[in-house]
Amino acid sequence: MDRKPLALLLLAVGALALAAAAAHARPAADPGVTDTTITIGGTVPLTGSFSSVAGVARGAEAYFKWLNAQGGVNKRKILYKYYDDQYNPSLTVQQTRQLVQQDKVFAIFNTVGTEHNLAIRGFLNELDVPHLFLATGLTAWGRQYKEYPWTMGYLPSYVAEGTIYGKYLLGAKPTARVAILHQDDDYGKDLVAGLRKGLGRRAGRMIVATETYSPEQADVRSEIIRLKASGANTLMIFAFGKFAIQSFAFVRETGWRPLIFVNQVASSANVMLVSGSAGENKRVHGALTIGFVKDPADVRWSSDRGMKLYFRIMKRYLPRANARDGYHAYGMASAFTMADALRRAGRNPTRASLIRAATNLTERNNPFLMPGIVVRTRSNDRFPIAQAQLQRFRYYKAGRDWAGRWIPFGKLVTARG
Amino acid sequence: MRRYVFAVAWRVAALAALAIAILVLPRYVGVFRANQFALVGIFFIALLGLNIVTGHAGQISLAHGAFMAIGGYTTAILVSGGPTLGEPLNLWPNALEGGVRDLWTIPLAGLAAALAGFLFALPALRLTGLYLALATFAIAVATPAVLAKPAEITGGSRGIQLFGLPELSGKGFEQVGFLGHDVPFEDFVYYVTWLIAAALFAAAWLMLNGRIGRAFRAVRDSEVAAAASGVNPAAYKTLAFAVSAFYAGVAGSLYVILNWGAAPRSFPVLLSIQLLIGLVVAGLGSLGTLVLGALFIQFLPEAIRRSGDLGLLPDALQRWGDEPGAPNVVFGAVLVTLVLLLPTGAAGLPRRAAAALTSRRYSQS
Repeated sequence: MDRKPLALLLLAVGALALAAAAAHARPAADPGVTDTTITIGGTVPLTGSFSSVAGVARGAEAYFKWLNAQGGVNKRKILYKYYDDQYNPSLTVQQTRQLVQQDKVFAIFNTVGTEHNLAIRGFLNELDVPHLFLATGLTAWGRQYKEYPWTMGYLPSYVAEGTIYGKYLLGAKPTARVAILHQDDDYGKDLVAGLRKGLGRRAGRMIVATETYSPEQADVRSEIIRLKASGANTLMIFAFGKFAIQSFAFVRETGWRPLIFVNQVASSANVMLVSGSAGENKRVHGALTIGFVKDPADVRWSSDRGMKLYFRIMKRYLPRANARDGYHAYGMASAFTMADALRRAGRNPTRASLIRAATNLTERNNPFLMPGIVVRTRSNDRFPIAQAQLQRFRYYKAGRDWAGRWIPFGKLVTARG
Repeated sequence: MRRYVFAVAWRVAALAALAIAILVLPRYVGVFRANQFALVGIFFIALLGLNIVTGHAGQISLAHGAFMAIGGYTTAILVSGGPTLGEPLNLWPNALEGGVRDLWTIPLAGLAAALAGFLFALPALRLTGLYLALATFAIAVATPAVLAKPAEITGGSRGIQLFGLPELSGKGFEQVGFLGHDVPFEDFVYYVTWLIAAALFAAAWLMLNGRIGRAFRAVRDSEVAAAASGVNPAAYKTLAFAVSAFYAGVAGSLYVILNWGAAPRSFPVLLSIQLLIGLVVAGLGSLGTLVLGALFIQFLPEAIRRSGDLGLLPDALQRWGDEPGAPNVVFGAVLVTLVLLLPTGAAGLPRRAAAALTSRRYSQS
C-alpha cells in the first residue's frame, strides 16, 4: 500500500459518515398510513430475462394513479412503490427489507415469483406485515395460512389449474398420451401434481413422458425433442416467459403435431402471437389454456365496459406501454382487489384490519376479471380467484396480418385447492 | 526518517478513524442501513480477494460471483442440514443432525471456494488475457444452471431458505448477543462481516507486502522474468486463484446468512461483473480504496434513484434514470470512462492529479 490510498481512505470515512447522517431513520408511529396516503410496495423483475412480466406492477400502478385521481380510498391516496429485483431472490429480500424497514410500507403487495415470495414470507409474517395478492400461484399460499396468516396469493393455484386440464382431457381425449414440459421448481411440480389429480387413476397410463427445465438454461430444444420421441400426442407446456415461446417453436421445428396445453401464466394472447411469429408457426392454433383476466389483446372485449376503462387508464397513465400486454390487465385486476381490501379495512386501517378485510372479500364487480368470476375469501379459505374459464386459441389471417384470440368454451370451472 | 514516521502515523490514524466509523455506524442508522453496510463489507471482502488475483497476480477473473455462490451454498447446505424440500436430506451423522451454526460454516465456505479456485486454476493456467476472461465468464454464466441441477443437495431452482432456523443467528430476526450486547440480526451480521473483513484485510496486506505479493507482481509483469528469478508462475497463479476464491467464498457465506438463504438466481452473471467494476473503480492493485469500490457497487443504483428526489438531475435525465436498467447502463458508462480517463482507478487519482499539477508548473516555469 503506497501513500496515495490514504487520503482516499479518509475520504471513505467521510463518505460513510455522510451516508450515515443522511440515512438516519425516524421511526413512524403507524407504518405506511398518513392522513392522506397509504403506501404499499413490492418487487418485480423490470430488467433481465423475466422483465416481460413488468406489466404486472406497471398496470397496478396505473390503476392506483387513476383511482387516486378519483379521490383514492377513504380519502387517502394509494402510493405503490415497486423495486426491480431482476428476478434475483436475494435482491427481493434486500428490497423487501428496504420497503418494510426503510420506506415503512403498510403492506407488501403483488410481489412476483415463487421462490422470491418464499424468501420473504417468514420475515413478513414474523413482523406482522400483510403480504397480499402475490403474483404466483403456489398452492402453499392458500393452504399454509395457519403458519403464515399474513400471506395470501391471488391467481388460481397451479394445482387447481393442472386439475382442470386433467379433468378436461379425461372427458375430451381419454386415449391421450401426454408429454409434460415443466419448470423444475414448486411452480412446475404443483401443475404436474394437479394434472395427476385431474387424471385420477389413469394418470400413470396417460402420462408417457416428463421433462424439466431450469430457468437458468438457454433453451428447451433437447427437452422437446425427447418429449416428441416418447410418441406422445398431447403436450403440456408448463413453462414461463421465453421457454413457452421456445416450446412452440421447437414443436414446429421437429414436425410434431400434438394437442397443446399451455399454462395460464404464459398464455396471454400477446405471447401466443409472438409464438405464432406472423403466421409461420400455426401450432399455436387450437392450443388450450385457462383464463380469468380479460385479455386486452382479445377483440371479444372491445366493447366491454371494464376493458374500455382499462384502455383509458393505459392511454392516460402508460401511454408508451403495449396496452395489448395482458400482464397490465392482471396488474389492474389485482390492484382493484387491493383497493377493495384497503377500503374495507376501515377509515383508520391497521395491518390487522387489512388482513381481516382481505380475508373476507366477496367481490363481484372486478371489471378486469372475466364475467362471473367472484373474488371470494374467508379466513379459512384463501384462494381469492377460484374460478376459471377453459379457452382455445384461434389463429387466423386478418387481412395481411395474422391475428389470434382465445375462444372460451364451456362454463366457468372451479379452480379451488 | 521523520517522513517515514509521519507516513506510518498517517496510516494508523486513517485506519483507526475508519475502524471507529465502522464500529459506531449501526448506533446511528436503522437496521436497514446496517444491512446495507453489511453488504458493503461483503463486497469489500470479495474485492479484497479479486484484488489479489486480478490486481496483483494479473489474472483477470469474471468468476468471483461463482466462487461466492460456492461459499454461499456451502453455508446454506450446512446450516439447513440439506435443503428443506419436502423430505430433508440426512447428510450428517446424528451428532450434526439439524445443521451447523451459521458462524462455523464461514471458514468452511471459504475453504470450499478455495478448493474450487484451486481446481479451476489448474486448466486456467494455460490461458491468458482475453481467453482467461472468457473462461472465467463461462464459469459465471454456467454456475446458476449447475446449482439448480442437483435438487436433492441444492434445493433446485427454489434454493435453500434459512429464515427461522435455529442454526441461523437469532433465527434471522431476533436479537443476537454480540460482545455482551444484544443487537438486531442485521447489526450482528454487520459486525461479524466487518470483523472478518478487518482480519482478511490485514492478512491480504501482510501477504501482498511480503515475498508472496512480490512474486504475484513479478508473475503479472513478466512471467519469463519471474521464472528467471526463481518464481514459479504456475504455482503462484494457482495460489492466487485459491486464496482469492477463499475470500469470495467467505463473502458468499456472509451474503447467504444476511439474505436468509441461497437460490441459483442469487448469484447471477451480473454479480461477477459488478465485482470487477468495483475493483476497477477502486483501482487495480490498491488495498485502501477497495472500500470505495464496495460502496460504489452497493449504492450506485440507489444513488441514481435518489438523485431525482433531491432534484440533482435535469428532468429529462431523471426520467431516463427512472427507467429500469439505468443503473447497469451507468455501471457500464462509469467503467468505460474510468478505463479511458483514470486507468488507475480511485487509488491512482491523487498521484495523477499531482502529476497533472506539477507538470503544468514545470512547463510554465
